Amino acid sequence: MKRPLARVAVAAAALLAAAGAIAQADDFPSRPVQLMVAYPPGGSTDVGARVVAAIAEKILGKPMVVVNKAGAGGQVGWTDMARQRPDGYFIGYVNLPATNTVVLDPERKAIFGIDAFVPIINQVLDPGLVWVRADSPYKTLKDLVDAAKKAPNTIRTATTGILSDDHLAILMLEEAAPGAVFRIVHLEGGAAQLKEIMGGHVDVAFDNVGSVAPRVRSGELRGLAVMDPQRSKFVPDVPTTKEAGYPSVISNSTRGIAAPKGTPQPVLKKLEAALRKAMEDPEHVQKMDAAGLALKIMVGEEYARYYRETHAQAKKYTEWAKNRPHK
Amino acid sequence: MLQHLVSGFAAALTPAYLAYALVGCTLGTLIGVLPGLGPAAGTAILIPLTFKLDPTGAIIMLSAIYYGAMYGGTITSVLINVPGEAASVITCIDGHQMARQGRAGTALGIAAIGSFVGGMVATIALVLVAPPLARLALSFGPPEFFALMLFGLCLVSGLAGRSMLAALLMTVLGLLLAMIGIDPVRGAPRFAFDIPDLYDGIGFIAVVMGLFGISEILLAAEAPVGEVVRARLSSLLPSREEWRRSVGAILRGTGIGFALGLIPGIGAIVPTFMAYIAEKRLSKTPERFGKGAIEGVAAPESANNAYANAAMIPFLTLGIPSSPTIAVLMGAFIINGITPGPFLFQERPDLVWTVIASFFIGNVILLALNLPLVGLWAKLLHLPFPYLCAGVLLFCVVGAYSLQQSIFDVWVMIAFGIIGYVFRKLDLPLAPLVLGLILGPAIEKSMRTSLEMSAGDYSIFFTRPLCLGLLIAAAAVLAGAALKLAPSVLREPQL
Repeated sequence: MKRPLARVAVAAAALLAAAGAIAQADDFPSRPVQLMVAYPPGGSTDVGARVVAAIAEKILGKPMVVVNKAGAGGQVGWTDMARQRPDGYFIGYVNLPATNTVVLDPERKAIFGIDAFVPIINQVLDPGLVWVRADSPYKTLKDLVDAAKKAPNTIRTATTGILSDDHLAILMLEEAAPGAVFRIVHLEGGAAQLKEIMGGHVDVAFDNVGSVAPRVRSGELRGLAVMDPQRSKFVPDVPTTKEAGYPSVISNSTRGIAAPKGTPQPVLKKLEAALRKAMEDPEHVQKMDAAGLALKIMVGEEYARYYRETHAQAKKYTEWAKNRPHK
Repeated sequence: MLQHLVSGFAAALTPAYLAYALVGCTLGTLIGVLPGLGPAAGTAILIPLTFKLDPTGAIIMLSAIYYGAMYGGTITSVLINVPGEAASVITCIDGHQMARQGRAGTALGIAAIGSFVGGMVATIALVLVAPPLARLALSFGPPEFFALMLFGLCLVSGLAGRSMLAALLMTVLGLLLAMIGIDPVRGAPRFAFDIPDLYDGIGFIAVVMGLFGISEILLAAEAPVGEVVRARLSSLLPSREEWRRSVGAILRGTGIGFALGLIPGIGAIVPTFMAYIAEKRLSKTPERFGKGAIEGVAAPESANNAYANAAMIPFLTLGIPSSPTIAVLMGAFIINGITPGPFLFQERPDLVWTVIASFFIGNVILLALNLPLVGLWAKLLHLPFPYLCAGVLLFCVVGAYSLQQSIFDVWVMIAFGIIGYVFRKLDLPLAPLVLGLILGPAIEKSMRTSLEMSAGDYSIFFTRPLCLGLLIAAAAVLAGAALKLAPSVLREPQL
């Protein structure tokens, strides 16, 4: 470049760019933050994400945009997140144990390990729920199990995805009730389960309370059991698995927010503080309540420990799922 | 029920709700016009906007955004051959040809009118027969879905121009491209060559933007400038002859869009393709299609608005979302504390009927909003060609990037732009490729789910009457196409 003005301009631009990169940790966020959900829009993770994002963005001062990256039971989204720059501008939901099973299943050839993500804060602990159509012949969990023993591998049982918490829960039930074998059908998400159950194409669904609580309360659907030590306040008439006679079947899906490994600590702390404040906000609590999603905020060491423990438990059932004769 | 509807209208016609509908239609049209930003993403982004509104208002606005976006995509399809979103792809074929003949205004006008008719009919049907129809549609399980999508694929013979072989080749290519990505059931990557950007598949919108839009620019770059004929205002309206032909197309398109809208999970693009193919087959002069036949615009446009409104039926009556955009709507409902489903009509009739009334109003607003603007849009084409091309290219690049904030999609678009240019030079039809790309994943997923339902037993496809019927229909279509080919095959042994 011959003209000195042009050279100065280029130099200035370069300096500004460098300054921008350094300034990141201090004035984070300086641009919108993406919050990834590894499932289709409208599902319970998505609903929770949108509620918290709308409040958190006011605290952070920059928009928090929910981005859906669905597919392969969440693997598409988590693969994407694992590759993102760890600068705090791309964070996303990890759904335990779904994320664990994606890592643990060798067939999935996941390009990331469980350490690819740094947990920030947990939002929801959604207990597992077994449900059927209101006119189904199964009135209790025992009815279902007995039927599964009498005619193994005939009852079409829907999950929300391969190696999801629902899938592992079915295996837990089979473990607790030897001889019971379910014909497992993997659908994508709770909406698909609703459609197929209402249409009579599958017989029973394993999902979570948050997905169908209002419909169970209204009587449109029948809940057979909640897979938690206590009854859920959202479906108070549904017995727990313990009351139904299968106390070892405890399953839930936690939805928490994590960042790619390597995200700087100051940025993580800022995100944790903002998200925690957003989750404790009365508007958030009220909207989550209305949606039937049970809040369980976990941060720091508590969440990290829960993260590790879930991984260990998932390992056991994932191996079983792979070796099961009926897939 | 009539009484409910009347009180619904009374509520919906209040200034506030009218304003929300108007805002929704406008935003929706804009979202549809912007290539890349699809209705699902656009609607989702706008959800927080509605947090401040009462539930009824929020739903009115979000629904308006939804069917507004259905129309918006048409504008860019016609003007610059860039599909604004999936449902507008097939409109590019005849719509853009009409624009090149100086009839952009007519194309957009008939699209607006067709959309209006489609939307109104679907909404009237919603009022009259919603619950029984919705239950009927539920009998479409995974096997029926598989059969229907397969049937759709067999219809590709209707898209063939002069060479059936070319159409079939392109369909297979589309199916092959659809295989790229993570296996939908087991989760292992296929054809991704360890490029993580391909794990999600090749990016449908980026592909069609390239195939149609970028290839158009490349073709224009080598053609002499000044092809677009200046249109006089009077020719913004269809001629009497064209009106006559459009009427049938609009009615048939509405029927097809409506029927498919009832079945959850179909996706907006399938009804548009089917309506187009049906028109072409029923026409006495099918050779006009692809060269600016007005039915080629009227039918798909009516189909896609009828689909959009009809898809609300399973949603409102049963609480089942038909498409990603409606799933987003459902999320919005839930956040506002409303659960769509059979009990909604009983528990909150005020809300439901106000929303239904606003569908009627929204369709009218869309028409009133867009018809006068048609002349304005058409004038855009009178810009000096080089600037127009440069503008379109910029528009497309930004749109492709906006899909997932990834430059990879831009490369995909450009690559397919070059591929599309080559294909068009070789006279290979693009529409069958798109059909294969769209239907491939749907066919595979539904087949595998069906087999899980039957524990691996293939007879599930033959023991369910609806599924069997569709499979027979698919076979019949194939047989018909083969028979048509037979004379030429017999004459010339080498094809």
